[in-house]
Amino acid sequence: MSDAAPHNGSLVGRVRDLVETFVQTDLVRLRIERGGEVFELARPALPRTAPPAAVELSEPIVVANLETIRADLVGIFRFVRPIPSEGERIEGERELGYVEALGIRNPVRSRGAGRVVSILCADGDGVDYGRPLFQMARD
Amino acid sequence: MFKKVLIANRGEIALRINRACQELGVRTVAIFSEADRQSLHVRQADEAFCVGPGPVPHSYLNIPNIISTALVTKCDAIHPGYGFLSESARFASICADHGLTFIGPKPHVIAAMGDKATAKRVMKDAGVATTPGTDILSSVDEARRAAKKLGCPVLLKATAGGGGKGMRVVAQLDDLERAYAGATAEAEASFKDGRLYMEKLIVDPRHIEVQVLGDDFGNVVQLGERDCSMQKPSHQKLIEEAPAANLSGKVRKHLHDMALRACKHVGYTNAGTLEFLVSGDDVYFMEMNTRIQVEHPVTEMVYGIDLVKEQIRIAAGETLGYGQSDLVARGHAIECRINAEDSRNNFAPQAGTLAKVMFPGGPGIRVDTAVYSGASIPPYYDSMMAKVVAYGDTRDAAIARMDRALRETVVEGVNTTVAACLEILATREFREGRYDIGFLPRLMAAAAVG
Repeated sequence: MSDAAPHNGSLVGRVRDLVETFVQTDLVRLRIERGGEVFELARPALPRTAPPAAVELSEPIVVANLETIRADLVGIFRFVRPIPSEGERIEGERELGYVEALGIRNPVRSRGAGRVVSILCADGDGVDYGRPLFQMARD
Repeated sequence: MFKKVLIANRGEIALRINRACQELGVRTVAIFSEADRQSLHVRQADEAFCVGPGPVPHSYLNIPNIISTALVTKCDAIHPGYGFLSESARFASICADHGLTFIGPKPHVIAAMGDKATAKRVMKDAGVATTPGTDILSSVDEARRAAKKLGCPVLLKATAGGGGKGMRVVAQLDDLERAYAGATAEAEASFKDGRLYMEKLIVDPRHIEVQVLGDDFGNVVQLGERDCSMQKPSHQKLIEEAPAANLSGKVRKHLHDMALRACKHVGYTNAGTLEFLVSGDDVYFMEMNTRIQVEHPVTEMVYGIDLVKEQIRIAAGETLGYGQSDLVARGHAIECRINAEDSRNNFAPQAGTLAKVMFPGGPGIRVDTAVYSGASIPPYYDSMMAKVVAYGDTRDAAIARMDRALRETVVEGVNTTVAACLEILATREFREGRYDIGFLPRLMAAAAVG
């Protein structure tokens, strides 16, 4: 999402409006870029198998230092074991997965300590250049 | 027939290939750079994969990412379009190594025709007239002896060359040493191959090319000629037409015969174009382009044949299914390239956002384009935005239609070549079909003086 609703108020007001909007949706992630400002909200993804009516939405989390780890080449994405999970804490650089391209395994690593906010790909996905794979909240 | 084809290109030619695939019932995969994320070819294809950032070496020339995309998406074949990797024998070989069909000629033919000195030698062997000149020169002394024999003016050309790089005109012998050093250095820097050869300079000839198609069963046909003499000082084409005006029957037949002879000699398959310089009744082979050409629509209009579909059918192992006698040209077609360029400033390329775009339509008009109102013209790529093609029963009818179509054309946000094309169309020389490759540079020089 690249266009925020018009708002002429303060930064705090704008963030508050944003959080309220986010709560009213079942979005897992919301990113708004406007006038050089970037707001990003996220919460752990819902289990895909869970019946929607039975699930209570978790409280939104305003994430600071959010970093997106992207594929830097085209290939098939694979997780490495232990498979990282959303909410898991990662210490330092760790290989989270790899992109297999032309028979070569190209590691996908976290770039520092932090927490996995969301996993944006599945094992075996064909991924293109720049495809978001993980979101990390860096320490 | 293929099930899925990767289109290794962008812009109007990517859309053109996508249309041909769709009509053949073939699924498509587009590739795109980050700068082209909003491009029409990305939206029209069945799947689309980003292969890198905007600059060409990182995206549209990124062979590992392109091959990987084809494998990930389970494509059978890759269509390279024109430019980028279309004449890379290495890329064609890599495709084959990965079980992908390259929609074009065989790698060894691309390699032979891509090296200009080799191509000339091959054509000589086939009995095709070439510009008087030398093989690859080994020293400046050899170049001097050759220039004396040929008589100045001569042209030094890089054997790996293209786009005018590593090319020098030597008007008199005294200029030779400096030109040789300059051309060698430029060729070395541009192509990592500084080898040169020499040709007699044919002053202001016509640039006439012949379209060919060949299949894997030895069938070869020619689809007539195109006159591409309306060129900017940079030797880039601006207006093309088929057939060529004011060409004697004898010269036309000679061109067609030479093209067929050359193709049979090298075992050419798929679509290709042989470019010739024509000066009076003299015809010289210049080079062969082993791919589809930008200006292929004018041939399609007069022959009623979809050349891109033919490329795909041939690459899939089908026979041509027709012979030379089945091909008859009807009427006349003209193509004007609508480029994002400032024609008042030596056709300097423009980048920016297109505030408003309205292309012409109506009887006999075809527009191949990938731009739309709100689209951006990134700075990384060729400045061509659209090709407006006009067809008429006669050349005069085609000119009248083109004139009308260009006046309907609206492009706001960047400077374009529309006005320049209209000016050219209005000249007596164009109307009479009497122009050579020096015409537009002379017209520009006269306008600058005026």
